[in-house]
Amino acid sequence: MLTVHNLRKSYGPTPVLQGVSLEVRAGEIVGLVGPNGAGKTTLLKCIVGVVHVDSGTIEVGTIDARADSLAARRMIGYSPSETALYHRMRAADLLRFAIGFHPHSNISQGLALLDEFGVPGRRRVSALSHGMKRKVLLAQAISSGAPMLILDEPMEAFDPAARKVAIDLLQEAASSGRAVLCSSHDLASTERLCDRVVFLHGGRVLREGPTGTLLAEAGRLVHITLRTPMTANELPQHPGWKWSGNSTNWTLLHDGSPEDVLTSIAMLPIASIRTGDGSLDEVFATLYLDPQP
Amino acid sequence: MSLWKQYLRQGWWITLGYFIILEAAMVAAILYWPRFRDNMPAIAKLVPFRAIQDLLASMEHAGYWPYLAVQQWFKGCSLFGVAAIAFIGSGIIAREADQRTAEFLLSRPVSRRRILLVRHAMLTAMITAPVLVSSVSAIWLSQSVGEAIGWGEVLVSSVFMSLFLWTLVSLTTIVSTYSVNQMTAGATVVGFALVSFAMYLVEGINQWSPFALIDVRIFMDIHNGEYPWWIAGGFILASMTMLHFADRRLARRDF
Repeated sequence: MLTVHNLRKSYGPTPVLQGVSLEVRAGEIVGLVGPNGAGKTTLLKCIVGVVHVDSGTIEVGTIDARADSLAARRMIGYSPSETALYHRMRAADLLRFAIGFHPHSNISQGLALLDEFGVPGRRRVSALSHGMKRKVLLAQAISSGAPMLILDEPMEAFDPAARKVAIDLLQEAASSGRAVLCSSHDLASTERLCDRVVFLHGGRVLREGPTGTLLAEAGRLVHITLRTPMTANELPQHPGWKWSGNSTNWTLLHDGSPEDVLTSIAMLPIASIRTGDGSLDEVFATLYLDPQP
Repeated sequence: MSLWKQYLRQGWWITLGYFIILEAAMVAAILYWPRFRDNMPAIAKLVPFRAIQDLLASMEHAGYWPYLAVQQWFKGCSLFGVAAIAFIGSGIIAREADQRTAEFLLSRPVSRRRILLVRHAMLTAMITAPVLVSSVSAIWLSQSVGEAIGWGEVLVSSVFMSLFLWTLVSLTTIVSTYSVNQMTAGATVVGFALVSFAMYLVEGINQWSPFALIDVRIFMDIHNGEYPWWIAGGFILASMTMLHFADRRLARRDF
């Protein structure tokens, strides 16, 4: 449904996207993760045509989004990261305005979603909390009827109950064949929601893979703190092992049993050791500790 | 809710206020005419600027029509029109950048050109409709002070003044597409109008002021059946050119 290939974008002399490629298939939910400044929002803005790319290709369905941005946007329900909205409008009117341009939008579904999220449709946007504005944005994206949903921090400021509703709604959307690309700093929700996760760093894809695979890898991580600094060459090497880190802090990704690992590293001057907890937080921490693409 | 309705909601109350002020100023001016006519020689002696003295001289010779033209179109419409344009029009695009709503608007499946054209058309209508309505009402009001003016000359003058205001709307539109701040865009337009009016008051350079294109001589020509086709054509050409460049700028702008 969405194919991005070798996308590049600079703001003046500052490169923000440096050859990003990714794919989101119909029925799939892909999470876009990365620290602040990784290029997540710029990437999403490029896809919806708010920002112009320098080079690369974006295809939404069969449409070349750079050549025909309008046709591409008809296929995208977008929830921006920015919650600054037309503050004089009432929530329901804003929803009507937002989805009125989409050819297959469903206003009654949108209003029902506002109800489900507990957002009073007659309340002015200026009187809505940050979380409620986010709910309006998510409701309008879902009820746009577009086959592709692009959501920038959609559950930011959501309470746990609203987060659960949102996750259920997005999984329902995916199961009906819609593709979802969703950026987030909330790794616990990303873990629950996404089929695949793409990690961005410095405008590049640092790592991507199915959520299950990434979590399994996270369970095979061993974090070691040494008493004396060592280089990577001084650490024990085995086929299927990968060290990351530096000096006294090292992380080992292994493919063996924990007992074999402990035997192999027993000669190291270990100050402390702990195994991974098998979460995306663990993957994130490991990737961005030593972010070599 | 459609694009035009959304924009109308933002600016209708300013348009209404602009119309009320314009109408009130015109009613006051018309009702003041008998006293003004009687005291015109004394007033002319008090005016410092040559350009204004010329206006008063033409009123002394031709009577009510140049007085109405100065009060309604040259003074009323341009002064309140510039204020309304700066107030509403400066935000046509800059407000979206300023209030950070651009990402929301531009990610909708609607072209930037359509957004610009719909808003530009709405703004032009909001600025020129009060000019036409208040000017037509002058036809009846003038009878209350014993003066008669014709439909033709009022309509042509109003359309001509509307074309001038449309040019200012187009200037504001292009300034707004380049600005990230509505206040800056508004101040630029007001600054341009002030400098232009100051130029109009300085003899020797007053012919280069845009206000020279809407002064009493032009309305006297209209009164005499000589229509300013070239100037009107210039307004249309300038507006279309500025709109074209505003469209190009908006198409390339990142938000």
